[in-house]
Amino acid sequence: MTDQQSGRQPGRRQVLRGGGALAAAGLGGLGLTGLTTLTGCSGSGDTGAGGSGAAGDPRKGKITVWSWQGPAAELKALIPDFNKKYPDIQVTVEDIGNPAIWDKITTGLAAGGQGLADVLHIGVDYLPGYVERFPGGLADLAPLGATAHKDAFAAGLWQTVSPDGKRVDALPWEANSAGFYYRHDLFERAGVDVAALQTWDETIEAGKQLKARTGAHLLGIDKPASQPDAANFFQMLLQLQGAFYFDLEGRVTLDSPEAVRAMTLIKTMNDAGLVSNLAGGWNALMSSLKKGTAAVLPWPTWFGGIIEEQVPEEAGKWRVRLPPAVRRGGPTAATVNSTHLAVAGSSKQQAAAWSFVEFALTRPASQVRIYRGKGIAPALLKAYDDSVFHEPSAFFGGQRKGEIFLGALKAPGSAVNYTADYARALKLVTDAQSKVLLKGADPAKVLGEAASELARQTGRKNVR
Amino acid sequence: MTPSAPAAAVSRPSAPRLSARRRGRWGTAAPYLFVLPAVLLFAGFKLYPIAWSFLLSLHRTVGGTETFVGADNYLRLADDPLFWTALRNTGVILVVQVPLMLALATGLAVALDSTLLRGRPVFRLGFFLPMVTGLVAYGIVFSVLLNEEYGLVNWLLGLVGIDPVPWLTEGLWARISLGLALTWHYTGYNAVILLARLQTIPRELYDAAAVDGAGALGAFRHVTLPGLRPALLLTTVLSTIGTLQLFDEPYVLTGGGPDNATLTIGVYLYQNAFKYFDFGYASAVAYALTVLVGVLGLIQFRLLGEKS
Repeated sequence: MTDQQSGRQPGRRQVLRGGGALAAAGLGGLGLTGLTTLTGCSGSGDTGAGGSGAAGDPRKGKITVWSWQGPAAELKALIPDFNKKYPDIQVTVEDIGNPAIWDKITTGLAAGGQGLADVLHIGVDYLPGYVERFPGGLADLAPLGATAHKDAFAAGLWQTVSPDGKRVDALPWEANSAGFYYRHDLFERAGVDVAALQTWDETIEAGKQLKARTGAHLLGIDKPASQPDAANFFQMLLQLQGAFYFDLEGRVTLDSPEAVRAMTLIKTMNDAGLVSNLAGGWNALMSSLKKGTAAVLPWPTWFGGIIEEQVPEEAGKWRVRLPPAVRRGGPTAATVNSTHLAVAGSSKQQAAAWSFVEFALTRPASQVRIYRGKGIAPALLKAYDDSVFHEPSAFFGGQRKGEIFLGALKAPGSAVNYTADYARALKLVTDAQSKVLLKGADPAKVLGEAASELARQTGRKNVR
Repeated sequence: MTPSAPAAAVSRPSAPRLSARRRGRWGTAAPYLFVLPAVLLFAGFKLYPIAWSFLLSLHRTVGGTETFVGADNYLRLADDPLFWTALRNTGVILVVQVPLMLALATGLAVALDSTLLRGRPVFRLGFFLPMVTGLVAYGIVFSVLLNEEYGLVNWLLGLVGIDPVPWLTEGLWARISLGLALTWHYTGYNAVILLARLQTIPRELYDAAAVDGAGALGAFRHVTLPGLRPALLLTTVLSTIGTLQLFDEPYVLTGGGPDNATLTIGVYLYQNAFKYFDFGYASAVAYALTVLVGVLGLIQFRLLGEKS
């Protein structure tokens, strides 16, 4: 094994310990083991092992659920209620962490379902990729009764979980609308009425005034893109124009006029010194929130809960609204992401797993409880009848935060096609954005290059 | 073997001959039996995946099914700007960081071997300790220390009036940070290997050199360095392989960014396999990497190996 003891190679121990992420490091050269073992299994997974699970008993069994941080805690808190209805189903919720959960699900699916939990919490950015690359990896929920809930969720989400209208890959949980959380006190000091801002151009002007009078940045972006979500803001500006990285036919639209417009807005803000650098991802974002580096957090629905949790002493100083439009009079609502619960195709307890999914996602009381806990906004429309979505929030200066986002959820929106190549697109977008923010590159040029590269890598057509 | 069995029965009375023959029969089978577990494990966990990943590198996943595409993945590799970026980045680390680190390790080994140094075990332990630290753990610690706005390093620099350095957010600085982290982690490890070899160099050689009028520098050049040759070869080859497979540090520290400035082949391969689920292409990258490691290792053995 001396060949494994090289200076910087993690070696076998860590490959075994660390699973997916570290496995890739052990490959190449003399130690190809890690990745190749996993990839080796994907072949056998594709030959039909993926869907080898069994329905089992819908009222009895032992199931495991994978989720992350806040949502995992809320699912855990739901178990006592669930067990009142299903006393013979034993549920274990595991907090895998995000983004670690994606590597764990990927390796599990690649291994034909080996070691996967029964219920998996999956973001909309990963769902189409999993479904397309690992057929049978996720159970079809239609035979278990999912189709009955077709109209229960916010518009557009059923198309995401059931693209062909027959097979159901997952059930929607969260529906997050683009939001605009801001420090009311800072803007007041700068003499800006945020509620009156109609467009992002106006917002940039307001940002200049804010910077001059208070020293605060308008907003923050992870400029070197240490995490893929560095492009969240760009993606939101794109979606506010009804555009995305792909069109509904799956063609590349990365350098559309809308995309160039969005990137140009970001460049303008950056050149004016209004964008603080959130290099380092989540931790940097939290530090910035606590230090008050930026006055606006252009984050979706779920982020309100995070703000309340992180800076409770700033109650009353915060406000929330929907983001300004990109074009005057344009849309201000966009469902920027959603998460879903799926059942593993390899699960031996699919019926029991479905019982849990159905209990958590289609019963308004469950979703209301989760919203009270962590502010996670449900896709389940009936849940919004509850008073919790219509109460004034002391933290947000008496605003009815729930109603603001409910309005966005009900606004007509365009469907978003993530495709199985979303991760590739996102990587190219974040690289392009880093070039613009760190090197002052021309938005049209870098997006054009990214679009051609994406088309080349995926074999998709590029339309402008 | 079978013809010898009746012969053994006939010669039963002669004890010494019997034992010799028995040893002969087992003597040929025993070594194979002893290596069998290792061979089986090797075949199951190394040979099979290595062969399978080669097959995989000739396929492309389209709509969930593996389609044979021949050398397409390799052709795509030659034409992939990101692969070349990753190769270039790895090359830069190989040419700049590895020699610097090994020079540092050699100096350190000599210093740690010096009888002038008091408390040598403490220093040896201290320099080796980073190696014991988990790769991910130290990566995270470095990323926190080097954070541009909230990091300790920039805060300390600020105390002496130096503007914040974009350690992880600017291409060149990100490469420097990566080099610093690698050097911190692996110098001690290499120094220990060199130190072990250093202690096998006979003292008489130094005495002889001193008699011949060599100073400290002369002794280092003509006794220490030639004596260290095999250990230097070992550390060079290991560091080269390690650098080519570099993954954890850039993954944790920079994620390969900004704008691919610290993208290594390992990170690129990981992205293709586990982010884009493109296992065929990732396998092709792995094979390209293997060939590269093999070729570089061979060259280093030729250049630095024992001269007969």
